[in-house]
Amino acid sequence: MEKGKTLIVIPAYNEQNNIRGVIGDIRASLPGADILVVNDGSVDATARNARQACGVKVVDLPCNLGIGGAVQTGFKYARDHGYDYMVQIDGDGQHLPGEVTRLAAAMAAAGSDMVIGSRFLDIRSFRTSWQRRLGIIIFRCLFRLLLGLRITDSTSGFRLYNRKSIEVLARFYPSDYPEPDAIVLLHKHGLAISEAGVAMRARESGRSSITAIKSPYYMAKVTLSIIFACLRTRW
Amino acid sequence: MHMHIDKIHLLGAIFSFVILAAVFVLVRERHLQEKYSLVWFLIGFFILVMSVFEGLMDWFGDFIGVYYAPSAFFGLLIACAYLLLLNMSVSISHLKTHNRALSQELGLAKLRLEELEEKVNGSGHD
Repeated sequence: MEKGKTLIVIPAYNEQNNIRGVIGDIRASLPGADILVVNDGSVDATARNARQACGVKVVDLPCNLGIGGAVQTGFKYARDHGYDYMVQIDGDGQHLPGEVTRLAAAMAAAGSDMVIGSRFLDIRSFRTSWQRRLGIIIFRCLFRLLLGLRITDSTSGFRLYNRKSIEVLARFYPSDYPEPDAIVLLHKHGLAISEAGVAMRARESGRSSITAIKSPYYMAKVTLSIIFACLRTRW
Repeated sequence: MHMHIDKIHLLGAIFSFVILAAVFVLVRERHLQEKYSLVWFLIGFFILVMSVFEGLMDWFGDFIGVYYAPSAFFGLLIACAYLLLLNMSVSISHLKTHNRALSQELGLAKLRLEELEEKVNGSGHD
């Protein structure tokens, strides 16, 4: 990976216990990449801990925008600073920086504009709850039906984007639960999407943002926005 | 159409005056933008007219084929309320979009400022 060409974006909300480990892992496996931490209005020491890692850029958002708003800040930074590639690695330590090479290989092989790190392409990673699997299966059917795309893990945030994708997503990025929407968005802009099988880690501390109470809302909201993203003719 | 004063119409008229006065004061004190006041003025006038001219409501009920005229009135008001709420949701969505863009710009601008300060102060210390 060439120096100064790839930006790693770490969206982080109250990840003071994980953030330095994540940065350390990225440094170890991807020494050539620049790191941008987007601190999404955390109330803990996330920003301070991130700044202690030398050479890491930290954007402090004045209020909590949610994952979509945080990641889009990364897209805007990557666009404005002329990066060719951007990788999203979540601040909770779930995504393994060592797997980025798989994403890069898949992008080179498929000639795609975005590569999704999928937990389900070849099964060698951890199992999620059945509710989550059910949701993912529903999305899989939706994508096949509406776009004719084979996407096994549409909710994965572990992704590699090229310059074209960065430019599109810096302008339009969905606000909450953005991952499935973003696929439709890029597809609608004529960009190619592929997947690479990756391993992921179970979270080290903190909880998933999607709780049992929120998951029906999550399903409804994401399904609706996928359908709308398909129907939208003007961006 | 005859003028007729009973308690409920008096109450309606007073209520509409309160709405109109409140909207007027809110706009004057800049708590409510003119754009949004328009629809409230319309609602205020509508209630005022409906409570002053009793025959109007019966005529309206007849016109749309509802036998109990006040329920036609309620239906109309509820429809208005729905439209108003829809309008509010649209406004909130716009605000959220703008707010998000502003927050992102602010965060990025702060980072640039930090970088420039570092450059000016000589690199190394924060």
